[in-house]
Order: sequence, then C-alpha cells, then structure tokens
Amino acid sequence: MTYTNPSPQTGPAQPSPPPNEPPIVSIRDLQKIFPVPGGETVALKDANLSIQRGEFISLIGPSGCGKTTLLRLMADLEQPTGGGLLIAGRPADEARRERQYGYVFQAPALMEWRTVLKNVLLPLEVMNVPGDRLARAREMLKLVGLEKFERNYPWQLSGGMQQRVSIARALAFDPPLLFMDEPFGALDEITREHLNLELLRLWRETGKTVIFVTHSIPEAVFLSTRVVVMTARPGRIEGVVDINLPHPRSDDTREDPRFFTLATEIRELLKKGHA
Amino acid sequence: MTALRPSRAAGLGPMLIVALIAAALYWPLMLAANVGPAGRTLASGAELECRTALACASQLRNPVVPAPAQLAQGFMRLSTPVTSPLALPYNVGVTAGETLLGLLLATVTGIGLALLLVASRAFERATLPWLVASQTVPVVAIAPMLAVLLGQYGVQGFLPKAIIAAYIAFFPIAVGMSRGLRSADPLHLDLMRTYHASSAQTYRLLRFPASLPHLFTALKVAVTSALVGSIVAEISTISFSGLGKMLAENSRASDTVALWVIMGYGAVLGVTLVALVNALERWVTPWSRR
Repeated sequence: MTYTNPSPQTGPAQPSPPPNEPPIVSIRDLQKIFPVPGGETVALKDANLSIQRGEFISLIGPSGCGKTTLLRLMADLEQPTGGGLLIAGRPADEARRERQYGYVFQAPALMEWRTVLKNVLLPLEVMNVPGDRLARAREMLKLVGLEKFERNYPWQLSGGMQQRVSIARALAFDPPLLFMDEPFGALDEITREHLNLELLRLWRETGKTVIFVTHSIPEAVFLSTRVVVMTARPGRIEGVVDINLPHPRSDDTREDPRFFTLATEIRELLKKGHA
Repeated sequence: MTALRPSRAAGLGPMLIVALIAAALYWPLMLAANVGPAGRTLASGAELECRTALACASQLRNPVVPAPAQLAQGFMRLSTPVTSPLALPYNVGVTAGETLLGLLLATVTGIGLALLLVASRAFERATLPWLVASQTVPVVAIAPMLAVLLGQYGVQGFLPKAIIAAYIAFFPIAVGMSRGLRSADPLHLDLMRTYHASSAQTYRLLRFPASLPHLFTALKVAVTSALVGSIVAEISTISFSGLGKMLAENSRASDTVALWVIMGYGAVLGVTLVALVNALERWVTPWSRR
C-alpha cells in the first residue's frame, strides 16, 4: 500500500491512516455469476482487494469487466455468488443498513418533483437524521458550490450541476464511504476536468474513502491514490497501480512526466488482459 | 389525451381558426339539412310565414339542425330563470356534482385498487379479469339495476348517479395508477435501497410522486367517462333533475332545439371538467416543465 509522501513544495498530502487500522473495504475471492439464457456470465471472478480509510480508489476497465458489479456488490445492491466482503468491518448488507456509504450513480438520478435543496434533504428525511437538516443540506450545497440554486428544479440545471447535486446528496448524511459509478461519464471533457478538481477538493476536505468507477485512464490517474485495473471475460482484477503523484493536484499534475508513465502502465495492464 | 390539454395563449390561435371554419360552415349545412323537411311541411299546406323551402329551412318548429336564432331563443328559454330547478344552469350543476362526486369515489377506489394490484401479483391475477369484465357490461344496462339495488337500501336521487359514474370511472384510474406506481426509475429504487428506506417511505417519497403523471392522464379519461356515466344514469333511472333527465324529457317531446342546447351545455361541462383536472395537475405538479 503506497501513499503519496507529503512534500513541502506541494502542500499537505492526504493523512495516512494509522498502520494497524483494519481496512475499510476488504474483499476476498469475490465472485459474481449472472445466469443468462443458455448458460451463465462470470461478471466477476476471484477478486481480492483491500482498501484503507481515506484512500481514493479508481476501478478502471472496459465495459463488461465487472467494475460496476464490484461496486454494486460492495453497496449490497447485488449479492455475491462466492467469496466474501467486509465493508467498515461488517457484512455488506449490515453496512448498507447502517448507512456506511453514499452512492453516486452514472446518471444524477435526482427526483424531478423535488427542488435541488429537497433532493439533498431526501436521505436526511429517510434516515430521520436528528438536528437541523435544512442547515445540513444547505451546507452540502455550498460545498459543491450550488447554494444559489436550492429553489431550482433539477431540469433547470446543466448535467454537470445535476451531478454535483447528486454528490451533495450522497455526502449529506456524512457516510465514511463514497461509491461513485462513472459519475462524470456522460459529461463533456471540460466539465469533467473541472468536476475532477472539485471532487479532489471534496475528498481532501471531508476525508472520505472514495471508490470511483471510470473508463477514462487520465481521470483515474488524476484522481486516485491507487487504480484497480480490471479486464473482461471473465471480469477480474488484472493489477493495482499506486499513483504516487503529489497532492494537492492541479491542472499542472496532468503535465507531470510521472502522469504519463502511470497512464502508460495502466494502458499496458489493460492490453495484457485483452490479449 | 394530449388533445384535451388546453394549452396557453399559443394554442388558442389554431383553436379559434377551427371555430371560425365551423361557424362559417354552420349556416349552409343547416340549410341543407332542413330544406327537405321544410319542403314537405310546405307541401302539406301548413300555415307558414315563408314561401319557399329554403326560406322555411331556418324557421321549422322542430328543425333537424336549428338555425342560430332558434338556438339563441332556445338557450334563453332553457337558461332562465337562472335559479329555477327547471332551467339548465341548475341541472348542469346537478350533473356536474354527480360527476365530481363520482370521480372522487372512483379516484379513492382506483388508487386503493392500484395499491393492492401493485402490492400483490396474486391479487392482480385473481381480480384483474373481473375488473375488465365489469367494464364490458354496458352502463345503460347496469344503471337501472344499480338504482333499484341502491334504492333497497334507501340510497336515492343524487348518490346512485354518482356511484354509477364511479363504476365506469374507477377502471382507467386503477390501471393508470398501478402503471404509475410501477414506473419509478430503477436508479431511484436503488437509491432508496442504499438509504435502507422502508417500503412505506419508498411509496411515499418515490412511487407515489413518480405515478402522478400517469394518475392525471387517467383522471382526464376518467372525468369524461364519469360525465357520460352520470348522464346515462340520469336517463336510464328515475330522475328529477340533471342533464340526462332534461335530455330524456325533450327527446320524448321531439324538441330538437332544446336537445341541441342541452348538448351544448353538456359539451361545455365536459371541457370545463377536463380543464379543472388540468388546473389541479398544474397545482399538484409545479415541477412540470409545461
């Protein structure tokens, strides 16, 4: 497990966890087989992975590599057909019931009948969170820079703004984990790069553990502390790449020679799985 | 039902053009329809103030299609005195009341049924064929039977008509609402699952609001059905008021002018009721883009 070394030139890095803390996500020989007409599809085979508190992990791979399946298994939205996993030290279903994670979907999935503010309030209402929920929701909107849009309906916002609302909603109840399934996949390159910077800022400010599914190599390198490279048929983990780029990252990070080296390393791993 | 959605100012222009065309065609079509009966009346040697069939076509006592002046006279005759229980305004009010009460009963029944249909596949399999069968019985046939049945329990007058209206209006609501309750976005269902939301919370916060567009589409179908139901119920049972009672009376008297005027009132009532549902929809769903 490699963490970026704090360096005086680049500011403080993400704080390293105490060495003996148990992993926040622990996956052992995880397997998921979907029945299909006339047989079965191995969506995920023998996955092993351990994630420490405070990490930013990207799952990258071509479609059909099981990266979304892996995330949904962690979220207890699918049940494994083999192996086991612990989320925050508990079985996945228990972790879900105890609201250990927030989930950001590929689409913003905002409820069109609720204003922006009420969308962020939704989890707080469902969970009956004590205290001033309205203040909490407003704080979250401020965190994603949309406090001026609280009275708007989702359709009045751009796709990027909607996805920021959905991130605010996922963070509203302060879960230790944030699962993100290709959240910026449908956005244009410019918006995506802007939101990548914002997401890194959020990650550093909140200290969450983020697990981020993407199919963009630059995005994975730019955001992550580690990148889990996955390949298809059957879906499996091909390798894990440590991203030892300094924090905080900025647009300059994309020009760092190490950035290209790491991107090449990931590309090679992806090719290896394809061969 | 989009054709029944009255759009705002932008939609009024085309509507007015159709109205102008209809008005322009009315006079020649009216003459064409009446000229034959007018000729026969002249030939019978009746005492008339007109000399030719064409001139008489707009002055028949019981015209096939009434002339505008006859319509205006009929309108005044049937609409005044405004507060009289024999005049149209009061009777339109009675039919409107029956229709709205019927729609209310139908909405409560329809939504209740939809909740049961969505909650249990077994219930759906057991009851849906019977619900469909209930709609294939002609309302004209079932109305007198229901009126007699309800009369046995002392339910008379206004209420049986509302119940008959509800009988044909609940079905589109039950179907539309159960479709609506199943229409929640799978991502939203996943989202509620990640929140560990209870089934009641998922219904209240997700399934019910997601069903509203379907519910209102169904309500627009249902309100016109309910109007037909209450008028048919008035015609086919013993009635002392309502549009249906007036239609029955005047058709027995062959008063075609009155029938046309009543029909006009009925049309205006139908359009008004649909407009009411539209207004309710805009009030309940302010997030809608329209």
